Amino acid sequence: MEKAEKKLKLSTNSNSTLLPISSLYTFILHTICGLGLALAYWVAHNVYSVSLVNDPTQTLRLIWVIEAPIVILLFSGFRQHPNQCSYIKAVGRGLLGLPAGAIVNALGAIALGAPVGIQHFSKTANWSILMSVFTIVPTASVFGSSWIEWRRIFAHAKPNGPIDLLICLPAHGAVIGAWFGAWPMPLDWERPWQEWPICVSFGAMAGYMVGIVASFSISLFQKHLKKE
Amino acid sequence: MSTLTCTKLTLLTLAAVVIQIIGLSLFVLGFFPVKPALSGVSGPESFTSPVCPSAEDHNFTIQSPDELKSLYLELSNISPSYDRLILMVVDGLPAEFVLGRDDRPAPEIFRKSMPYTQSLLDRGVATGYHAKAAPPTVTMPRLKAMVSGSVGGFLDVALNFNTQELLDDNLIGQFFKIGWKMVMLGDETWLKLFPRSFTRHDGVHSFFVKDTVQVDHNVSRHLDAELLMIDWKLLMLVSDHGMTENGNHGGASYEEADALMLLIGLRDYDRRPSTHKTVNQVDITPTLALLFGVPIPINSAGILIADTLKSLEAAQQLRALELNTWQLFRLLQAQLPDLSCSSSCGVDKDGPGNDIGECDGNTEEIFCCLYIKAADLHKAWKSCQVLGSNKVEDYRSTVLAYNDFLRTASEWLSRRATNKPVGLLAFGLTGMILSSLILLSLLYQLEQDVCMIKEDRTSHFSSRMHKWHMDEIFVMAIVCFLVLSMGSSSLIEEEQYIWHFMTSTLYFLLLRKAVQSISSVNTQDQGNFMERQIKRRFIQMSSIIFVLISGRILRGWHQGGVNWTNFPDISKWLESEGTAYIKPVQLVSLLLLTTSGFYALSFLRPSKRFVIVVGLSFLFPAILVLQYIINYQSSGVPASSNNATLLVQIIYATLGTTTFGIVVAVPWFMPVRNPKGCSSHHYNVLHVGIADSLYLIGLVYIICWGLLQLLLQQPINSAPILLLLVQILASMCSSSNSDPEPKQWVEVAVVYYLGMAGHFALGNTNTIATIDVAGAYMGVSSHSTVLSGILMFMITYAAPMLALLSMLINLSRRSKISLVNAQDVDLHFLLKTTLAYPCLVPLGLNSIFLVAYTTILLLMRNHLFVWSVFSPKYMYVCATTACIYIGVLIVASTVFYTYSTLGLRKMWIR
Repeated sequence: MEKAEKKLKLSTNSNSTLLPISSLYTFILHTICGLGLALAYWVAHNVYSVSLVNDPTQTLRLIWVIEAPIVILLFSGFRQHPNQCSYIKAVGRGLLGLPAGAIVNALGAIALGAPVGIQHFSKTANWSILMSVFTIVPTASVFGSSWIEWRRIFAHAKPNGPIDLLICLPAHGAVIGAWFGAWPMPLDWERPWQEWPICVSFGAMAGYMVGIVASFSISLFQKHLKKE
Repeated sequence: MSTLTCTKLTLLTLAAVVIQIIGLSLFVLGFFPVKPALSGVSGPESFTSPVCPSAEDHNFTIQSPDELKSLYLELSNISPSYDRLILMVVDGLPAEFVLGRDDRPAPEIFRKSMPYTQSLLDRGVATGYHAKAAPPTVTMPRLKAMVSGSVGGFLDVALNFNTQELLDDNLIGQFFKIGWKMVMLGDETWLKLFPRSFTRHDGVHSFFVKDTVQVDHNVSRHLDAELLMIDWKLLMLVSDHGMTENGNHGGASYEEADALMLLIGLRDYDRRPSTHKTVNQVDITPTLALLFGVPIPINSAGILIADTLKSLEAAQQLRALELNTWQLFRLLQAQLPDLSCSSSCGVDKDGPGNDIGECDGNTEEIFCCLYIKAADLHKAWKSCQVLGSNKVEDYRSTVLAYNDFLRTASEWLSRRATNKPVGLLAFGLTGMILSSLILLSLLYQLEQDVCMIKEDRTSHFSSRMHKWHMDEIFVMAIVCFLVLSMGSSSLIEEEQYIWHFMTSTLYFLLLRKAVQSISSVNTQDQGNFMERQIKRRFIQMSSIIFVLISGRILRGWHQGGVNWTNFPDISKWLESEGTAYIKPVQLVSLLLLTTSGFYALSFLRPSKRFVIVVGLSFLFPAILVLQYIINYQSSGVPASSNNATLLVQIIYATLGTTTFGIVVAVPWFMPVRNPKGCSSHHYNVLHVGIADSLYLIGLVYIICWGLLQLLLQQPINSAPILLLLVQILASMCSSSNSDPEPKQWVEVAVVYYLGMAGHFALGNTNTIATIDVAGAYMGVSSHSTVLSGILMFMITYAAPMLALLSMLINLSRRSKISLVNAQDVDLHFLLKTTLAYPCLVPLGLNSIFLVAYTTILLLMRNHLFVWSVFSPKYMYVCATTACIYIGVLIVASTVFYTYSTLGLRKMWIR
């Protein structure tokens, strides 16, 4: 196990994917991811004047339509083995990961109690595509179908390097945020935002943001440690 | 280092359970006082003395309401003062707003908002009272108190299963009996309380607090028509309770208890503003009953308001006091069985009882003395009246004597019903906390011991500290989440969501752990071992996914809860499609349940023949259940017909004897042979036999329980029963295929959680209304509360019991594992390492919930929903505790029996 990981580190280093990235660069990277989401929400709110509460389907669609290209294009630049895998291929992997991840997320949500029915279909679909953008798509773009890497990121949650952190932490943040976001749903406050998937989406986006901040802080901290 | 011995463990667990039972019963007795109340309805007999039953045997055979009315009139000797009553109930109007407080008039702003009422009060046309309401100051109990006069306890509410109808003797019922026409306008709560009493009604739903207009409008649009007829009438304006400054109510503070009572249209009123007296809210009942010539409701604790009777003659006033006294005396007799006062009968005392001074002694003596005093004075007054030499002083002293008795009795009754003995509650809670601490520390100690044994064995492999896994942390986190969620009334109402959410999340974490363990396999050596590992992972993951899917189906089967019951779910859809859909589902469930039982039996290797015998013996009850489903259920034939009852009884008998027979016989006849490929050093007769017997008995238990539930549950619940059973089997399968062996307490906790999620998946909620009362009479030929209660319990706790019974299968696997690993095994060691967890984990988890919920109930005792949400939930918590005791007892005694039987066999073989 450990041997395998060492081998893996060697291989990544030899392929020079994860070059030592400057702090400024890390900052820009994190900011783009975070700002993309904020921008998407701003556009939905101000340009199309829809909000999650009054039109969740439309808003979620707008957000993922804006966020997905940013994430795919950005993370494809950091693909593993760039020599063997072209940028276009990485983008293709990301695009393929979008529906696949959406299905996984939708099944997960339904297993945890999300409502099933034709009237909920478009809401669930858009929500799960957005969740896919947060969780599956970056990994798909960077690592493709490398089983070891997927397991390392999701099953063991052992990121190394700023890109790993940027993939791993926001994805876990989004999932955990969505999980906590579901808590107010059974309460009888009779608020419109208690509907599926509004508070869950809020939770996911908040968790994603927290994940980005955490990943940025940790990567700075690690760099600081290394320097010392 | 101290290690737990088997005996010490057992004794401590037993002690903890006993302490818990004592604590719980003390708390329940303290929090829900069971007040002995009289059953039935007051009738003509309430006009006779309770102390000296008159010789003449009244044989009242009255049919028509008019006859009854005139009979009452004749018996009571009181001419009804009014023949129409308008009872106007205002929700949450504090008397302070109208009458002011402590002799100060109401603030100007309130006086201005009810100008007409104020003018009536000023002119003395209306008489106002502060009507003290008893807690809980919540609408429903207050309405009941006003019409029945009784100070409500909770348990009597809880025992009226799925009806909100007021079954106690009450004014509305009494009026209805003498043929009154009653009209109800306003909140539909009244219609729920008295569904059949009103000739005309127009109720509206007024749940939304801020909508103060809807109900008022609904009332006022009818008033013109209803009031056209003018004759003698009394308008009574009352409020059910007061409220605090920010509009809350439920507690016992002055503001909340300060309800209003306003009598308008009394015939003989003082033409001057009254000093506003304080009465009790329950006093409304006897006053109205006596004014309108009906018997006082049987459990009324109120005393009549003397001012209202001023228009009557002196004799009639005394008679009214006498009737009230008799009624209260009867109620006192129900609570104080020694109170009889029969010594006063027959002996005609010549003096008017002026020899009796102050009354003292014990409670019975005081009441008796007060009663005799009043009765004697009354008698004397009456004899004087015949002679025509009435004195005003005699009359006054009689009234005073009656009032003495009435006030003492009423105060004693209401104090008894509402007082919560703090010491008892604290003692009970302390007991529960203590037992919880004992159980948890036992668990901790046990875990330490098991870890130590494991470390001894594997010290060469890894000596580092045990790292906590996600699933282990989450099993504990679930406890925290549940305890926290119990503080919210809406999360209690919708508890089914939490259990499903938590259980599914836990299984996702187990799935994640399974994925983690693939990697550790991948890098190890290749070949045959690898292939086996991959197969094991595949089985493990697919069974987890199966559990997740079936869990979701179970969640969707019944919407459950309180607030969103109208949402579509599978059961509603099936029911709307009719029996044509339900019956096939039922039959398929039965078939699959039997098949999966046989399939699980086939895993038992030792002797195919033995297993086949056991399997076949269950075929017969299965066929009987099949016959019952085909012939009787949901096919129009009333299930209470004699044949159906007989068949059900046969099924009970067959299932019972089969299960009992198998369980008793299995340890004796279980073939024991060393499995091939294992050295006989580790395995011996005893140990193989134990593991196999426990597996077989566990399966027999759950198949029997499943078949019984298919019979008892509503037809719609047959598929969930099947899913639950298979889900538990799949969960066992996944943990037996997982590779770093999961901790046993995690396994047990997971199954326990599955059982609790299943409890709600069967349509149960935390309200008493969802208890399946219909199934409780199945196969019971004569009405028996005990039998029906047991059946009801079995139906309601089907899922947790199934989970507990299935622990035996887990136990069997565990004893196999500890056999393989341990060098020298003795019975005590085996018992400690296998049986302790399946008993301690459910008991420990439940004790945490019990303590947490008891604390919450105490904190919430003044909450608005304490009677509608928190108290019913507490009933369920208590019943779950009982369920856990029973399940653990069955598991433990089965294991003890199996161990001792095989021990005996081993001795004989040697």
